[in-house]
Amino acid sequence: MMKWTGLAAGLALAAAFTPHQAAAQQPSCPVKIGGVLPLTGSMGPITTKIAQAAQLAVEHINQGGGVKGCPVELILRDDQGQPTVGVDAAKYLVEVERVPAITGTVSSGVTGPIIASVTAPSKVVQISCCSTASAFTLDGRSQGYFFRTLPTSKTQAYATASEMARRGLKKTAIIYVNTDFGVDMTKFVKLALPKLGGDIVAEVPYNDNQPSYRAEVTKALAAKPESLLLVGFPKDAVTIVREWLSLGGSQKIALNNSMRVMDFVNGVGPKFLNESFGMDNAQVAGPTVDAFNKSFQEKYKTDSAGPGVHTQYDAVMVLGLAMNIAKDLSGPAIKDAVRQVHAAGGAQVGTGPEEFKKAVQLIKDGKPIKYFGATGPIEFDANGDVTGPALVWKIQNGEIVTDRVISIEDMQALFKKVEG
Amino acid sequence: MPELSFLLAQVPQAVADGVLTGAIVALGAIGVSFGLQILRFANFAHSELLTWGAYLALVVVAFAGPGTPIGPLSFGWQLIAAMLLAALLTGGLAFAMDLVIFRRLRAKNANPLSMVFAGFGAALVMRNVVVLLWGPGTYFYTNELQIAVEVLPGVRMLPDQIFILGFTFAVVVLLHLYLRYSRTGMAMRAMAESPALALACGVKVENVVRWTWFLSGALAAMAGVFLGLSPQLHPEMGFNLLLSLFAAAILGGAGSLVGAVVGGLLVGLAENLPILVISPGYKAAMPFLLLMLVLFVRPQGLFGERS
Repeated sequence: MMKWTGLAAGLALAAAFTPHQAAAQQPSCPVKIGGVLPLTGSMGPITTKIAQAAQLAVEHINQGGGVKGCPVELILRDDQGQPTVGVDAAKYLVEVERVPAITGTVSSGVTGPIIASVTAPSKVVQISCCSTASAFTLDGRSQGYFFRTLPTSKTQAYATASEMARRGLKKTAIIYVNTDFGVDMTKFVKLALPKLGGDIVAEVPYNDNQPSYRAEVTKALAAKPESLLLVGFPKDAVTIVREWLSLGGSQKIALNNSMRVMDFVNGVGPKFLNESFGMDNAQVAGPTVDAFNKSFQEKYKTDSAGPGVHTQYDAVMVLGLAMNIAKDLSGPAIKDAVRQVHAAGGAQVGTGPEEFKKAVQLIKDGKPIKYFGATGPIEFDANGDVTGPALVWKIQNGEIVTDRVISIEDMQALFKKVEG
Repeated sequence: MPELSFLLAQVPQAVADGVLTGAIVALGAIGVSFGLQILRFANFAHSELLTWGAYLALVVVAFAGPGTPIGPLSFGWQLIAAMLLAALLTGGLAFAMDLVIFRRLRAKNANPLSMVFAGFGAALVMRNVVVLLWGPGTYFYTNELQIAVEVLPGVRMLPDQIFILGFTFAVVVLLHLYLRYSRTGMAMRAMAESPALALACGVKVENVVRWTWFLSGALAAMAGVFLGLSPQLHPEMGFNLLLSLFAAAILGGAGSLVGAVVGGLLVGLAENLPILVISPGYKAAMPFLLLMLVLFVRPQGLFGERS
């Protein structure tokens, strides 16, 4: 009896393994990609276009030759903007549909649990259009399986640090809002500024909605800083900047993107902000961006403006390219291939079916490629994050004007300088 | 941990900042304290009286303009006049609040919890009427920005803040004299000590209650204007101070004028001094830590009478 049981088990094992090994050589068509997006719920309105961008990318991939000769099918599930629903959707995609890669999702609060409890443990690649929380790629929970196609707060932090260094602000105090965003920004500015020729002499967190911030400002001023970096939100920032100036603080003030509103400028008084500047993400331009905008317009009869639309297209295109590059369609192989989508010295490929076809041919010939997407060059750093261009704004004659743009090439050089 | 000498050098400024915050909290806390003892319930709508006072003064300022600044101050006599007018109006508003809501509840012998929740409701309505009338944005009395002067070695203060301190001190002294020597003042103190005994002695309870509401409203309006001077007005300005007001009133001992003032100052100092050594992220918790420590030793508050 024992002998028969052993044989049956052996046969069962063999049966279980053989199709998989076969799949590694020749994938079964169609190739499935999972998608998790908040199609309904509070994010629903903005997600319509994001989902359309994902479908457009799948269409372009299929018109351009698909993945390893197979057409691609996007299996899209709704997360309703809720962690529990999102995790269930991802579990379904991984365990039932057996997808090797997922694109999603929008809210960081949903993306985080999916990484921690589904994709990373199952070694499934996940790539998000929209979640910015820096912790995902830094705290080790993703094990390298998580990527995203939009810049995190790190981009803004490094750009701010470099602009501060460029303006010769040597001794700076940081006052920051005590949230994930503020803590993130401070952490990265602190990392970057010393390497670019500046020094942080005081770091003071603040909690929002307080009647006065004299104590925080006094604490920051005690270290005799020559300039201030303020990371926060406009209403409290007005109080802080006014108290800072009143108590004798320097007018050399660096600000984050939230302060790029006239409410802030008028609240403080424009005449006190002549020496201040701020940072924000800049829009990318280029032929590959235009090509995407054009095909989106043609397909959906509406323009592609909106959060997450361009980054979602790139997220799916990157998966399509990486799955062609990967030696097999397993999670680990795709994960490694994602990093070869924008290889040094590769031939440039862009958006649209023709460009995808070109990329597939290059990959078949064993040549490296360099993908330029709907958001410009897509190059993942060691953590799976991308950088983007930034713009420096300032106040001139009571108006907010763009001072200069830090191009994505400059930004990548900046990242190399800071992170080595 | 920074050096001790560096820390000690920061103490005078932190004390000055604490006293300034404390002065505004004290003005607002007097009304809360009276409410707790004389009206016998925690009036959560009190913070909205600060907001209303500030916005009513804004209306006057909008008509009269902030005026030519007096000396080093950022505002002229118009703002002071506006504040006094707003104090009268807010006193009236507090009185009206009693008339419309709390008197009816008192007449039906509502328990204190019902009063508290009615107060919550009133607070929500009042705050949202401010949003309705003036919008959710921010306002300023004046766009002047003052530069601090060094009043003592290592202590910088704005001229406006020195004015606020002086004015608050004068108001508290006047109020003290009023409570001590006027008939209504004595009746209020009698009510605070024992309503039953006061009633038996012929004190007109409704009269005292009315005065208490009016005074609370007027003082709250002044606190609101001072709050708006440093530096902006917004619909949540009073609400954001609510916990501090209650901490100050309870710390000092309900029903005590001196207690409310000392409580206010202690709350201000408790917010400002510890952050020399700890992260300002914990600032908001400090007054409550102090409150707990005091209540462990004196459950009736520093100047409260044991009932």
